[in-house]
Amino acid sequence: MADITTAEKSPAKLTKEVVRFEPRIIGFLCWWCSYAASDMAGTSRLKYPPNVSIIRVMCSSRVDPAFVMRAFAEGADGVLIAGCHLGECHYVSGNYKTAARISLLKKTLAQFGFEDDRIRLEWISAGEIRKFSKVITDMTEKVRNLGPLNWRENFEPK
Amino acid sequence: MPKIETAEQVKRFQEHCKSALDRFPIVVSLCNGTACCAMGAKELAAAFEKELAGDESVKFIKSGCHGFCEVGPLVVVRPLDVVYQRVKPDDVPEIVDRSLRHNEVIDRLLYRFGDGGKVFAKEGEIPFYSNQSKVVLALNSLIDPYSIDDYLAYGGYSALARALEMTPDAVLKEITDANLRGRGGGGFDAGRKWNSCRTAAGERRHIVCNADEGDPGAFMDESILEGNPHSVIEGMVIGAWAIGGDDGFIYIRNEYPRALKAFGNALKQAREYGFLGENILSSGLDFDIKVSRGGGAFVCGESSALFRSLEGEVGEPRAKYVHSVERGYRDEPTNLNNVETWANVPHIINRGAEWFRSTGTKDSPGTKVFSLVGKVENTGLIEVPMGITLREIIFDIGGGIKGGKNFKAVQTGGPSGGCLPASSLDLPVDFDVLTRAGSMMGSGGMIVMDEETCVVDVAKYFTDFLIEESCGKCLPCREGLMHMSGILHRITEGKGKPEDLRRLVKLGDAVAAASLCGLGVSAPNPVLSSIRYFEDEYLAHINEHRCPGSVCSALISYHIDPAMCTGCGTCEKVCPVDAIKPVPDEERKDGLLREIDADVCEKCSACKEVCPEEAIVVESPAVTTEHYRENVTEMR
Amino acid sequence: MEETSVKMLKLTIDGIETEAREGETILQVAERLMIDIPTLCHWKFVKPYGACRICTVEIEVHGKTRMVPSCSYKVRDGMVVKTRSEEVIKHRKMLLELMLARHSQVEVVRKLAHEYGVDTTRFEEMPSEQCINCGLCVRVCDEVVGANALTFVKRGTERYVSTPFEGEAESCIACGACAYVCPTGHITVQDIRDRKYVFSELALGPTTPIHIPFAAAIPGIPVIDSHTCIHMQTGGCGICSKVCEPDAIDYEMQDTFEEMEVGSIILATGYKTFDPKRAEQYGYGRLDNVITSLEFEHMSHASGPTGGAFVKADGSEPKSVAILHCIGSRDKNYNEYCSRVCCMYSLKIAHLIREKVPDADIYELYIDMRCPGSGYEEFYNRLLEEGVHFIRGKGVEVSQMPTLATTTPVASNSKLYVKCEDTLLGMPRELPVDMVILSVGLEPAADAEEVARVFKISSKADGFFMEKHPKLAPIDTLSDGIFIAGCAQGPKDIPDSVAQGAAAAAAAMSLIDAGEVALEPITSVVDEEVCTGCKTCLVVCPYGAISFDEEKHVSVINDALCKACGCCVAACPSGAITQRGFDDTQIEAELAALLM
Repeated sequence: MADITTAEKSPAKLTKEVVRFEPRIIGFLCWWCSYAASDMAGTSRLKYPPNVSIIRVMCSSRVDPAFVMRAFAEGADGVLIAGCHLGECHYVSGNYKTAARISLLKKTLAQFGFEDDRIRLEWISAGEIRKFSKVITDMTEKVRNLGPLNWRENFEPK
Repeated sequence: MPKIETAEQVKRFQEHCKSALDRFPIVVSLCNGTACCAMGAKELAAAFEKELAGDESVKFIKSGCHGFCEVGPLVVVRPLDVVYQRVKPDDVPEIVDRSLRHNEVIDRLLYRFGDGGKVFAKEGEIPFYSNQSKVVLALNSLIDPYSIDDYLAYGGYSALARALEMTPDAVLKEITDANLRGRGGGGFDAGRKWNSCRTAAGERRHIVCNADEGDPGAFMDESILEGNPHSVIEGMVIGAWAIGGDDGFIYIRNEYPRALKAFGNALKQAREYGFLGENILSSGLDFDIKVSRGGGAFVCGESSALFRSLEGEVGEPRAKYVHSVERGYRDEPTNLNNVETWANVPHIINRGAEWFRSTGTKDSPGTKVFSLVGKVENTGLIEVPMGITLREIIFDIGGGIKGGKNFKAVQTGGPSGGCLPASSLDLPVDFDVLTRAGSMMGSGGMIVMDEETCVVDVAKYFTDFLIEESCGKCLPCREGLMHMSGILHRITEGKGKPEDLRRLVKLGDAVAAASLCGLGVSAPNPVLSSIRYFEDEYLAHINEHRCPGSVCSALISYHIDPAMCTGCGTCEKVCPVDAIKPVPDEERKDGLLREIDADVCEKCSACKEVCPEEAIVVESPAVTTEHYRENVTEMR
Repeated sequence: MEETSVKMLKLTIDGIETEAREGETILQVAERLMIDIPTLCHWKFVKPYGACRICTVEIEVHGKTRMVPSCSYKVRDGMVVKTRSEEVIKHRKMLLELMLARHSQVEVVRKLAHEYGVDTTRFEEMPSEQCINCGLCVRVCDEVVGANALTFVKRGTERYVSTPFEGEAESCIACGACAYVCPTGHITVQDIRDRKYVFSELALGPTTPIHIPFAAAIPGIPVIDSHTCIHMQTGGCGICSKVCEPDAIDYEMQDTFEEMEVGSIILATGYKTFDPKRAEQYGYGRLDNVITSLEFEHMSHASGPTGGAFVKADGSEPKSVAILHCIGSRDKNYNEYCSRVCCMYSLKIAHLIREKVPDADIYELYIDMRCPGSGYEEFYNRLLEEGVHFIRGKGVEVSQMPTLATTTPVASNSKLYVKCEDTLLGMPRELPVDMVILSVGLEPAADAEEVARVFKISSKADGFFMEKHPKLAPIDTLSDGIFIAGCAQGPKDIPDSVAQGAAAAAAAMSLIDAGEVALEPITSVVDEEVCTGCKTCLVVCPYGAISFDEEKHVSVINDALCKACGCCVAACPSGAITQRGFDDTQIEAELAALLM
């Protein structure tokens, strides 16, 4: 199988004056709660920005902090991790692990100079479609205001 | 004050108290009983204390009831041995100066008998006293009820000391041999009661004194509690020793605040001296007495209702077949006796059963305290040997009917008793004879009635009293008495029907047979006995609308005899409804007489009381003013 | 404890020689010999009282004759008892005459008096009182039930039975024992709006501990609430077991917890109605005669508290009724959704009222009339023909006084005024009515949140359980094997609930019938080569699916237990665990593709 980790990519050259910056956000959604919410938001014809690309996991605790790093390395401007409300995790206690991991990750990344708003942890239950759309909208705007991450230029070792 | 711990110490302390008393050459005893207090004894006491301030030679005692309530306030001076009656505060300086300092007798304060009659100075000579046999009341005029030392000085608590040196069985035997019968009205053999209580099954035994004294006009127990409370305490402790009592109660009716105060104080002193509490006189007996106040219910004088009240429940009697000696207070063995019964106990222990049986009759030995009230010359509190006749009490002690009027009846035993006519005057007073005659001796109330008392009215009074006091639990008492009262009211209002007497008797029999407790069983007595002896009075009310005693206001009318009236007009002044108007005098052309408008007259008898000529006449059956005017001569 | 032999006593009663145990009363002996002695204040489960004296008999002991109450007098050896002697009859007749004077209309007194030839009384008659002061109610409440809610107050002729301070007795459990023993019917028990009241001008307490949960309960046998049962709390009372003839009461019965292993679960936990107390403007709970639709259903039921009669709180028949739709539904302040069933049941209520009170003024205050389905619109038309007034305007407020200046107050002061905006007329209106029925909406059951938590299913924003797909899978949940049906999933009426129930049952059955269940393929697996044996993964697995192989010093995942959450995968420091379908390479490939 082709090594897809090192796909050819042309460096993204974003010029501010021509187009509005559209942030690229990756959303890790757990299947039982936040993914279901996104599904229902869709069937309900809710409108929200298309900037979040969704990766489905079974449980938010599947999200390895390395994925977050990988996402940024691949060019994401922001990462959203969404799981079930605490106490309601379909797998009992997965979201607690997620909370711990992401909170530690955010602290670490802050030291690297990552803005806090680029990594967002949310608990969205299956019925909270409005919250889902609001989170997407809100995060998109925030990351838009922060501007592109420019991993290659800012963080990759020279 | 260290506790007295042995009989020997009791004796020594008694001597000490006696010599303390003997130090006073002169003793002044002011009767502080309820009646005398009402007549101004408090002011007298203040006056005496003022006059005697600083005088160490006079012992001034505010004593319990001396008994001669009619002539109170009473002051007794000893050793001069003179009794002063109707004393006023203004007399006090004279008494102190002349009698105390100079041993002089003040003539005008002495008791007189009859119209300008014989004067009696010495206590022992006054017939009222000389015909009595004071045992229980003996110390009343001698001691200060608030002083335990006074009681000790006169040998108090020697009975207790003696009893605690005997075995409980010996004490029981003494009381049983004495044949002491309960003085509260039941007349039950106290010795037998004590024995039953002692042998009853149960862990604890209670000793209770019944001081509820609810009979109207009765104040025997009150005077004992106010005048000599320690005698009752001593009796109860002796009882506790004999029966094996674990704790004691006295149930005092709330309407006796002075008794409550005196007794409460006596309890405190007794505890202080060691006559109550733990290991009394080193005998091993632990005993104390608690005071419980009544709530104003006559029915709580009944023993089972009393126990309920003591337990904090509503005072309702239980069937009497459950004896209180087996199941009384808290369903435990309880010995309940009356105040006077307990007060007799120390005397029996001190002087022996044989001495006790030497007074009174064979079946009713000992003395009995009576409250003699009503239409006698000398009302008051008396103590007489059982077996004395009604005549002796009423005439020798009581001085006969007031105002020289005629004797009609005597009501004995309070609401449970009955009216006895003149034919019963020679009956000896004891537990059994009076009961056979249709009344009962009861707790000692004795109400004398003259020709101006209406027997029907008295029966109505007692029936209404019992309706108020009935607990209402059982049907016959609750409903029966109500209907009896209704009939009696109708009779006294002139609405009596011919069948009423028969109805009263039938009802009375049913109530007496079917009631649950003593209140109901004896409630018809006043009615039934008055019908038995005074049926003619009832018939007069019903058939003639006439009240022989001129009492029932619906059946009487007041008039002024023109022959007696002097026209002074005093009656007109006092009449509250302006029923008296002047009328011209037919014979004395220049004068005015008075006439009563019988339609307006309220029969309050205010005019009768003030008329100096005794011109007010009461007619029964009632007649109009016109009728009287026209038929005056025939009606005289 | 040593055995004491019971002493036997000899006595003669009405000429019959017999024996009795020591401690027995005359009445007990008489009952044994079938000798009838009348009583009014006696009941064998309470101590003898001796108040009525009707049982008085004549006895002779030791030569002395007396009259004693047979209910409380204990037998003595050698006693001679006459229960019908001349004296006894004489006194009994007198007592009955006395009773007739005060209780002339009391059935039991008249009957007994008649037996003794006493039909009139020579005594002054008073207005007949129903209570004969027998004290049975007080004694039952004290001695058997142990609630002590009743007592006698005052004394003498004024003595009567009452509750503490003549108010509601807090300790009364409305067991009805007092009504049961009352010989005259002075005390009765009534149910008013699910609250039991024991009447005789006494307002007593709430429902009894032993009760049938509701009229149509299956099985229809009583249960005992152990928290309020006096016997279970204090050891007292126990009257239910005393009077139960087949002796069916078992106080020792315990709650049991049953564990069952099942393959599929259907959650059909239903709904609750909107609590109109939250909408104070309608006066529910504050004003008399404002009731909910469910309370109306209860009242109109033939086995309900009024036997099916439609009555106001004071017992009179209402002549005008307003039925207010959408209480708690279609409302931003409470629930935004439409509860679906209310319009139809409101029509039904109007129809029932029309049947019971043909001339009543019935108002339906609606926003829309939602009558979808077969025959429903036709039913609505029928109601229009029955003369029901339909007002298109939601009821806004219910008050005791008119609030619009244009309203003329009705003379009778027990009217309720319903304010609404009549949108067809275009003006506010105020209707004076006798009764208001609130058509309350449906809400998730009170325990819906907890049920969802226990079964790990999700709920929608409105609180009802979430179906897998609103159109295509209305009875499935996201968890395989757990199905939902009925109002637990959302408001619906009976036909729809039945349909969903059948569907859920079919789905569950098909799972069972399959015989085998397909496991999740996306479980995780440990690569033994890479695993260092650090045991980090063992701790994080919520299902205990990971065990440690001491020999190989590696972790092993149990495929059957693994629920495929992937937590261990992220936790493994060595990256030794992969989740099938969600392994690192797959996710990274997704990332790369998305961010290309």
